[in-house]
Amino acid sequence: MAWWGWLIVVVVVLVVLVGGFLAVQARRRRGGVIAGPSTRASGRGGDR
Amino acid sequence: MRTSEVTKLPVVTLAGEDVAQIKDVVYSADGGAVSGFTLAGRGLLAGPLREGLAWESVLGLGSDAVMIEAEFVMEPAADVVSAAGPAGDSSGESVGGNVLGSRVLTDAGLELGTVVDVIIEFGQSAGESCDVVGYEIAASESLASKGKKGASKGTKLLVPLPDTLAVSGEHLMVPASAEDFVSQDLAGFGASVEAFRAQLEGDPR
Repeated sequence: MAWWGWLIVVVVVLVVLVGGFLAVQARRRRGGVIAGPSTRASGRGGDR
Repeated sequence: MRTSEVTKLPVVTLAGEDVAQIKDVVYSADGGAVSGFTLAGRGLLAGPLREGLAWESVLGLGSDAVMIEAEFVMEPAADVVSAAGPAGDSSGESVGGNVLGSRVLTDAGLELGTVVDVIIEFGQSAGESCDVVGYEIAASESLASKGKKGASKGTKLLVPLPDTLAVSGEHLMVPASAEDFVSQDLAGFGASVEAFRAQLEGDPR
């Protein structure tokens, strides 16, 4: 393969790796709402 | 305020330093109050941080930033999450998990919908707790077929929560009477929550 063929392969691999890393980091940064474990079956309010 | 408006807010010290951003909102399932936040680093390449932020360390929560005194008030995220568990449980195990996407069921067995956001309420002065007052749900077919608030399947509705609630397993349980207090707009939701909680306490308003 000509030298520019290898260059294209290397560039494509780098783009995929960087893109994948950024996508993984963005997913890890994505937030949510975490609830702690409950000890009661069902709350009816008024006891706090 | 919706929790989706809180996540990704920058955490800023009183010295003006931008030290982190909010990742998860952590709340105690039994008390229905926000106990803290997990954090992520700032910038495109940053991932989650090992530090978290207890609600007691928050000086102010506004639409643009979460204010803290200094970086030293941050504590291990595992401690913040385990503090949301029952008193004395510091194991950090069997945490309820992310409630977004969970199904909301009444204790009469009716599925109201799927949680798309959580509504919180807090006072502006330091030391006040931050309460979880409701869920924003995408209405289920069962609820839509009842014609509540003219909702069709997938319509976003606000469901008020009692002072204490149960959040564990795959489903979020609410009292059956919550169905009568669903609301479509956040502006009037505070009144719905008060009326719902008064009704649970046996005070007809």
